[in-house]
Amino acid sequence: MIYELYLSAIRSLLSNKTRTFLTMLGIIIGVFAVITLIGVGEGIQNYVTKQFSSLGSNLLFVSPGKRNLRGDPGANFSSNKLDDKHVKLIETYSSDFVTGITPYIEIGKTLSYKNKNYYTVVNAFDEDGFSTYNLTLDSGRFFTRADITSNSRVVVLGSNILNELFSNQDPVGKNIKIGDKTFLIIGVAAEKGGSIDNRAYIPYTTAKSIFNIKNYSSIVMKALDSENVDSAMKRIEIALYRDLDKDEFTVLSQKDLLNSFSSILSTVTLGIGAIAAISLLVGGIGIMNIMLVTVTERTREIGLRKAVGATPNNIAIQFLIEATALSVLGGSIGIGLGILVAFLIRTYANFDATVPLWSVLLAFLFSACVGILFGTYPALKAAKKDPIEALRYE
Amino acid sequence: MAVEPILSLKNINKSYQIGGQKIEALKNVSIDIHPGDFISIVGKSGSGKSTLMHIIGLLDTPTSGQVILNGKDVSKYPEEHLAKVRNSEIGFVFQAFNLLSRATTLENVMLPLQYSNTPKKNWERKAMEMLKLVDLQERVNNKSNELSGGQRQRVAIARALVNDPSIILADEPTGNLDSKTGSEIIKKFIELNKLGKTIILVTHDNDLAKIADKVFVIKDGEFVK
Repeated sequence: MIYELYLSAIRSLLSNKTRTFLTMLGIIIGVFAVITLIGVGEGIQNYVTKQFSSLGSNLLFVSPGKRNLRGDPGANFSSNKLDDKHVKLIETYSSDFVTGITPYIEIGKTLSYKNKNYYTVVNAFDEDGFSTYNLTLDSGRFFTRADITSNSRVVVLGSNILNELFSNQDPVGKNIKIGDKTFLIIGVAAEKGGSIDNRAYIPYTTAKSIFNIKNYSSIVMKALDSENVDSAMKRIEIALYRDLDKDEFTVLSQKDLLNSFSSILSTVTLGIGAIAAISLLVGGIGIMNIMLVTVTERTREIGLRKAVGATPNNIAIQFLIEATALSVLGGSIGIGLGILVAFLIRTYANFDATVPLWSVLLAFLFSACVGILFGTYPALKAAKKDPIEALRYE
Repeated sequence: MAVEPILSLKNINKSYQIGGQKIEALKNVSIDIHPGDFISIVGKSGSGKSTLMHIIGLLDTPTSGQVILNGKDVSKYPEEHLAKVRNSEIGFVFQAFNLLSRATTLENVMLPLQYSNTPKKNWERKAMEMLKLVDLQERVNNKSNELSGGQRQRVAIARALVNDPSIILADEPTGNLDSKTGSEIIKKFIELNKLGKTIILVTHDNDLAKIADKVFVIKDGEFVK
């Protein structure tokens, strides 16, 4: 009998296509939004994880201030005390655990060549910085110890800057302006994928002297052994306590950054989930509304079915199936559209948006629940109709 | 030896409270219906005819009195149980046909089978037999809005017969038909009665009522003859 009821539900939905579509729209939009946003969220997670892992998993950072990734990022810089003295301290007391200790400065600057301008992040570090960030060369050379000691005005460009300013011509040997200062281009870094290709690299000594920077944005180094990252972090802390209070710096590992990013992302995902739940709720109310109209419209049918032997349960199940068919059909369309959009993003935006299976199952289950939840009241109303009154209904 | 009645109503009373006023729709009504009977119940609007029909059809229960169907008192059955009894024992034919407009002739006739214990594989065969009986075997796949009034009422008769009920209960079956089509439908009832079906015809039309073997006239909630 369930099959007959299902068939009758589909037939009744098809008999009024516009109304069926409009009723489903709430569910379609809700599920579509959830699926697409989860897909994009997964994409962001994948992208960030890839970016981090391209830098190497044993990277360590010393940042000024008490690092709180959810707080005001500016607060960390107002009390910045990191300078050469601390690089020395780490070198002296932690060198058996870390290597490639390099001061790191990050500044936003406009690069200009002839009449073209490009605003980007300029990174300043020492000759070890390239290996710390796993950077390789496409052409030219990296800066050397000699460039560091002599405050040379030399720059290595990320591969994207070539496209932006030099129409992909090899710029090595040409002069470029960073802010209002002229630099000699000595090399171009190989493409790594992501925002790191937009950057320009200069010696940190040059950055300090000509851009008048006193303190470092951070001190970056690599743990010698990826197994000993935690001991290395302890060692660095002990070394820095010789000069700094514990509120004046934070040692972070790649993993810490990734974790705090993930926790931010899951907060955002939760917020999106809540919005989606509201839209499904609204969709459910729409279904309930239309089901109540349907029950009234089909009063005579209910009377007839009862007269020929339908029990109140039979009637309730019939209308519940109809409501659930509405919500599940709407949910499926939403899932389909979400997967399609994730596919389009993946294909045309070069961004790895993937829809995980659990989100599809969850959305499907959720839309079925919406149908059952909001279909129950109209179904009970139909089941309770008096057959005599129902048969008389005009 | 007297044949046991299929349906006996014994001292049926039915009253309603409408706006604080007690309305006695049926007063001490008794009737026996035997297998193969063709009876008609005739009365004006407000006579209690509809209330009586609803009690015979098990759509309503009496305030007092007994409804004995095939030897069992069904007057106190709960709704779920009554629905099952209606399904197997009563075949309704309504003035307004009451067909499902989106369903085909065949599906309309099969509707009572959905709620019965008949195995699904037999549904179509049974429905087709009934459609043959009402000469509609050519229109099985038509939707009800593609049929004429007379054809629709014949579909309704086939639907009423499909579970082989004890009683066919026809409420003004010709009320929505022209006189020629109406008499064809009445002929169909006479044929069915000759085949042994028990038929109760409820109408306000004295002339129509006369085609039955027994005529019960109801007035102010009581049989007058």
